[in-house]
Amino acid sequence: MSQEHTGQADGASSSVAHTGQTDPLTVHSKTKPVVDANVLLRVDNLRVRFPVKGGLFARKQWLNAVDDISFTIRRGETLALVGESGSGKTTAALAVAQLVKTYQGAIKLGDTDWLALSDEQLRVARARMQFIFQDPYSSLNPRLKAEDIVREPLESLQSVPRADHQGIVDRMFESVGLRAEQKKLFPHQFSGGQRQRIGIARALVTRPELIICDEPVSALDVAVQAQILNLLKQLQQDYGLTYLLISHDLGVVQHMCDSIAVMYMGKIVEHADRLSLFNNPLHPYTQALLSAVPSVDRELRQKRKRIVIQGDIPDALNLPSGCRFASRCPRVTDICRTTEPELKRHDVKQSAQSSGEHSVACHLVD
Amino acid sequence: MTALLRVENLRIELATRLGVAPVIDDVSFELAAGETLSFVGESGCGKSMTALAIMGLLPDKVGRIAAGKILFNGEDMTQASDERLRSLRGNDISMIFQEPMTSLNPVFTIGEQIAEVLRRHKQMDKRDAWKRAAELLDAVRIPDATHRVGHYPHQLSGGQRQRVMIAMALACEPKVLIADEPTTALDVTIQAQIFDLLEDLRKDMGTAIIMITHDMGVVAEMADRMIVMYAGRKIEQGDVHTVLDHPRHPYTKGLIACVPHLVATLDEHRPPLTEVSGIVPGLQEFGKNECLFASRCDRVVERCLRERPTEQRFDKDQVSACWQANTL
Repeated sequence: MSQEHTGQADGASSSVAHTGQTDPLTVHSKTKPVVDANVLLRVDNLRVRFPVKGGLFARKQWLNAVDDISFTIRRGETLALVGESGSGKTTAALAVAQLVKTYQGAIKLGDTDWLALSDEQLRVARARMQFIFQDPYSSLNPRLKAEDIVREPLESLQSVPRADHQGIVDRMFESVGLRAEQKKLFPHQFSGGQRQRIGIARALVTRPELIICDEPVSALDVAVQAQILNLLKQLQQDYGLTYLLISHDLGVVQHMCDSIAVMYMGKIVEHADRLSLFNNPLHPYTQALLSAVPSVDRELRQKRKRIVIQGDIPDALNLPSGCRFASRCPRVTDICRTTEPELKRHDVKQSAQSSGEHSVACHLVD
Repeated sequence: MTALLRVENLRIELATRLGVAPVIDDVSFELAAGETLSFVGESGCGKSMTALAIMGLLPDKVGRIAAGKILFNGEDMTQASDERLRSLRGNDISMIFQEPMTSLNPVFTIGEQIAEVLRRHKQMDKRDAWKRAAELLDAVRIPDATHRVGHYPHQLSGGQRQRVMIAMALACEPKVLIADEPTTALDVTIQAQIFDLLEDLRKDMGTAIIMITHDMGVVAEMADRMIVMYAGRKIEQGDVHTVLDHPRHPYTKGLIACVPHLVATLDEHRPPLTEVSGIVPGLQEFGKNECLFASRCDRVVERCLRERPTEQRFDKDQVSACWQANTL
C-alpha cells in the first residue's frame, strides 16, 4: 500500500540518496486500509521534509514538516486541517496537491495512485484536484482578464473542445456570483471578495472532485467572509465537491467541516468528526486551542475554563524525545517526556450526537 | 464618570486624488480611566484613523484634523505643539501596532529599543534604562529576560515580538494604551496569552485601553464598552453586553451574525451564514448627507437615502445612528 519516494523535497540535492530498494525507512502502513467506495482521498503515512542548511561542513539536517500523517476524506464531505502556524497543515495540503514533493507515504485519489503518476499524467490528473489560495491579491495573474484566468485551466487540459470553453466559463461566472460584464475586467478592478470568487471559478472550471481550500477567507473582511463561505457550501452541494480545508479559524472550521484533524508540529494529535471534536475535545492541545478562541456566546464564555498554554512551539530541528506537546502541556506526566504517544482510536460511548471515529495521540486519554 | 480622554465632533479629512474625503466624520466618544473601549468595523471604516489622530500621527500633508477636539485630561491635543505631543506620546498615551514583525527596528537589540523610550521620556541613564528594560520584558513574561534583552528582533517569535511591543508601550506606564489589532498576526493560543497580559496590566496599573479589532469575539472577551464604526462614522455605541444582546443598528447586527462562532454546545443545525451583501463604500462616497450603509441594508427606506441618521439614545447609554433603531 505504502510506497517509498526518493528524497526530492530539496529538488536538486542528491547528497542524501534514498532509493526504494535499499532504504530501511520504507514504511508499511500501520492501518489496514478499509475498502470504502465512498473514500475519495486517502493519505497514508505521509511525510514531507525539507533540508535545513547548516554550516559549510555541518551535516545536512532535515526538518520533518509533515511527519507520518494519515487521513481519508469521503466524497462530498469536508475535512479540516487545523493547527497553529508551523504545524504543517499547509505543507500537508501542498503535498497532497503535489506542489511539494512527498518524502514517504501514499496518496490515492479515487483509484488513482497519485504519487505514481508521471509529470505529464499528473498535469492532466490535476483537473481532478484543484486549489483555492489564501491571498486573492497575489494568486491571480494581473495581466489577464478575469475570463482568461478562469479559462486557463481548461486550455491546458485539451480534453475539452475549444468551442465549449466560452460556455463553461460563462456558467462558472454565474455559479460563483459574478456578473457577465465583469468577465472583461482585470483583477485590480475587483474587490477582495470578488477576486476570491474568480479564484473559486478557476478551481471549479475543470470540474474537479477535490478542492483544497487553503485559508480561503482569512484575507477577507468579516462581512465578505460570510459571502464566500456560503458560496463554498452552495457549490459543494451543487457539484458534489469534496473539500480539504486548511484554516486556523476554528469558527470557520466549525461551520464548514464534517471532520477535523488537529495538527501539532507535523503530527495529527486528534482526529474526529465535527461534533465529537468541538463538544468533547480529548487532547490537551485541542482543549487549549478551543478554549483560547474568543467567542460572543456568553454561555460558552461562562462555562469554559480558559486553558492558557505557556511558551512557544519547540525547535522543530531538535524535537523532544517524548510527546511534542509535553513542554507546553498543562497535564504533562513522566511518560510524556520519554515516549511519543501514538494516534489511537478512542472509543467513546456513541452518543446520539457523535458519529464516526475519534482518534487521539495522548498518553493521558484512554 | 470623569473622562480621561474625550473626543468631540472629530472630523479628519484626507486629501485624495478625487478630492477631500472625511475619513472620520463627526465622531465623539469618551474613555474613562481603567476601562477598555473597543472599536469594531471592517477595514476602511476609520478605526485606525481614529487611533492615529489621538496619537497625533496622521500622515503629514495628506490627513488633517478639520474640526473637533481631542481632550486628554482637559488639554486639547489638536492644538498642542509637536514638542508637547512628543512628550505625551509614549509617556501618557502609547500604541501597539498590528504588525509585530515590522514595527521593531531590526538593527537594534530589543533592550536598546525599550531603553530608548525610558531615556527619552524618563531621563534615565543608560544603565538604569537597560535594567528597567529587562524588568519590563520579565513583566510581559518573556522567559529569561535578563539574557533576552540583548537579543535582536529576528531572534524572537511573533508572540514574543508583540510582547516586546507591549513592554515598550508600557515603559512609561501610560494612562491610555491604544492597541490596533494587536493579535491578528498571531495564533489563538498566543493571542490568549497577550489578552491575559493586557488584562493584568489594566488591573495593576489602571491603564485605559482602546482596542481596535474586527473580531466580535475579542470585543466580547476584552471590552467594557464598544463603538461600531462604518464609513468614518460612529453608527453604534454602548455597553458590550447590551450591544451584543440587542444591536440597534443593522450593520452591527450583520457583523455579529455573519461570523460562524464557537458556541457552548454545537449541534447538527448549520444554517447558511447571514450575509451583509456588498462592501464598504469608496472614499468618494464618504461625507454624503445620507446613510452610507443604505446600499447594503435590508431595511432601507426612502429617508435613509435623503438624510444622514442622527444619533438616537436608548437605555444604558446605547446609541444608534439608524432611522429605524426603534424597531430593531
